[in-house]
Amino acid sequence: MADIDGEDPKEYRWETGYEKTWEAIKEDDDGLLDGAIAEIIQKAKRKRQAQKTQQNRLGMMRHLYIVLDCSESMTVPDLKPTRMLCTIKLLEIFIEEFFDQNPISQLGLIVLKGKRAEKLTELTGTSKLHLKALEGVSKIPLTSEPSLQNGLDLAMKALKVVPSHASREILIIMGSLTTCDPVDINSTINALKADNIRCSVISLSAEIHVCRHLTQQTDGSYGAVLDDAHFRDQLLAHVDPPPAAQTQENSLIKMGFPHAKTDGGKDPPLSMCMCHIENTEEPSKLTSGGYHCPQCFSKYCELPVECQTCGLTLVSAPHLARSYHHLFPVQHFTELEFNGQAANCYACQKPLTEAMDKNVYRCEKCAQVYCIDCDIFIHETLHTCVGCNTGNSNRN
Amino acid sequence: MNKQQDVESNKFSLLVIVLDTNPSQRIVRQNAQLLTQCVDAIIAFGNAHLMQCSQNKLAVLSCHHHATDFLYPLPGKQLDVRQIDGQYEVFSLVEKTVKQRLSHIITNSPKLNTPCESILAGSMAMALCYISRIQRNAAAGVKMHSRILVVTGSNECASQYMTYMNVFFTAQKLGITIDVCAMDKTMSLLQQGCDITGGQYLRLTQLDGLLQYLLWVFLPDPQMRQKLVLPPATKVDYRAACFCHRELIDIGYVCSVCLSIFCKFSPICTTCHTVFKIPGPMPIKPKKKKKV
Repeated sequence: MADIDGEDPKEYRWETGYEKTWEAIKEDDDGLLDGAIAEIIQKAKRKRQAQKTQQNRLGMMRHLYIVLDCSESMTVPDLKPTRMLCTIKLLEIFIEEFFDQNPISQLGLIVLKGKRAEKLTELTGTSKLHLKALEGVSKIPLTSEPSLQNGLDLAMKALKVVPSHASREILIIMGSLTTCDPVDINSTINALKADNIRCSVISLSAEIHVCRHLTQQTDGSYGAVLDDAHFRDQLLAHVDPPPAAQTQENSLIKMGFPHAKTDGGKDPPLSMCMCHIENTEEPSKLTSGGYHCPQCFSKYCELPVECQTCGLTLVSAPHLARSYHHLFPVQHFTELEFNGQAANCYACQKPLTEAMDKNVYRCEKCAQVYCIDCDIFIHETLHTCVGCNTGNSNRN
Repeated sequence: MNKQQDVESNKFSLLVIVLDTNPSQRIVRQNAQLLTQCVDAIIAFGNAHLMQCSQNKLAVLSCHHHATDFLYPLPGKQLDVRQIDGQYEVFSLVEKTVKQRLSHIITNSPKLNTPCESILAGSMAMALCYISRIQRNAAAGVKMHSRILVVTGSNECASQYMTYMNVFFTAQKLGITIDVCAMDKTMSLLQQGCDITGGQYLRLTQLDGLLQYLLWVFLPDPQMRQKLVLPPATKVDYRAACFCHRELIDIGYVCSVCLSIFCKFSPICTTCHTVFKIPGPMPIKPKKKKKV
């Protein structure tokens, strides 16, 4: 991704040419608008996809701290109902999506309230904990100013100990236009730069120079949101793993693959899990199932997790497989004008018609033709070309 | 009465059956009659699904050795069927379409000299595309439950691993249940898929009772299955196979760049050719492993 997101920073909105949005819509021969509207929708759908560029090296093991501004400025109702509630809703989506796309990554939450920074959740790999903590955020009284520096310092302290092969990131969601810092923030920015921590900022109000400076120094991205839909796009752009930092070290990581043990058909003995042992609200229950660390045999209810006893990262093979699509993405399909290449879409069997399908999409490898919806579905969700995987002649 | 009808019309369930029709399946090669028997069972099972609720939808895909095709429904205009003996027209439509399409596929398929594997993963991907299209087109407020039933007698092969995983995770994301009815060998990969998506895996020991098995185990909706006594879920082995020896391992080393799995520490990744920096305590670790 470029250091500055798609928009041209030099030009203000009022300096751009007057947009005649209605001129884009043209009537067809029968005086109908359906075709033109379908075309606009198609273009918008595909635009997002085309922005994804292929990277050879990605920082797949991500350690991300989300720093959330909880100052008075978050009560502003320019995002409906308020900035805070809108952010919480979008963060819920973000957290789910993040763990779906980055199964072996970890996330933590930090809130900035009353000039202080407070860690809501430590870096962990399960979404449940974060979603629960996020529920509590809406009850935080929103007063005074945030302190950017305190937030960064706290996140940096936690990210410093992360192994060097993993990517370290901070995502700041800033509502305030000001920050109240104890000392010169440049020292913190330099320290972040030295530690290769990538900082990105999404500003809910306007562009702030110190934030822009921070993102430029640490190779992050900066965005100020226009409305809630734009906010959502900006936030979800952080779901995809970023390109690996040049200085990031490569290493082989020792991992454990627990498997359910079966001793001659007998059920394993009842035991307590390690993940809930210190949790007073949901105490550990005696169960027979679970995953045992192959090194120290501690039991956990779910994967992926870092063994609390011996520190081994425990994953299952599908967790690793889930990240493979970042490494082997489906190639972009070629956009062709529809002129009867195929009677129906190869994947979903939708009959292709002149009126509704202005463009069709062809995979260069298997030469099958797809409709726009399948093109998007294949690239965004399925990550597998249907044509290339059906039919033996094409596969070899 | 009126209210009840409203509730009923607000949800329907879509069943997509992926039928392995590859002639190189071991059970088909031994007994060619079996495929006919299989198709009859599938048609009866599909009709049973349609019978449960008038809104229910059905699709049948055939996974042949050279291609995957839809057996039902046809993409454009459906076949003309007349009511026979007071039978519900859709039932005869399903039967006629499936049989006609299948015989068309079998007669037009290229000659097969050596047995080749079925490409089930691709067929399942196609089924997912179809389901997502139906889901997109469903009217607002209509609840739709979809599931895929795979009926196969072939072996699975490791070369489709990535496609399988992509299919399983997509299904999980979209809330689609994957059921598998294995007629011959144990399919450990598909077993994982059932486990991930909350579906039912069943390996048949007796093929004569295929329809009986289908009706008992796979006809009830996934929501209803909790209340039934079904074959217990088998323990799924989620261990990874190392890229170097293809052996299942408990503790392995994973490349931080490409996530390849190795059973021993090596200084260079064989997949992406990354050179690893050997950290201080690392050389001791392999020794430890040898002791164990």
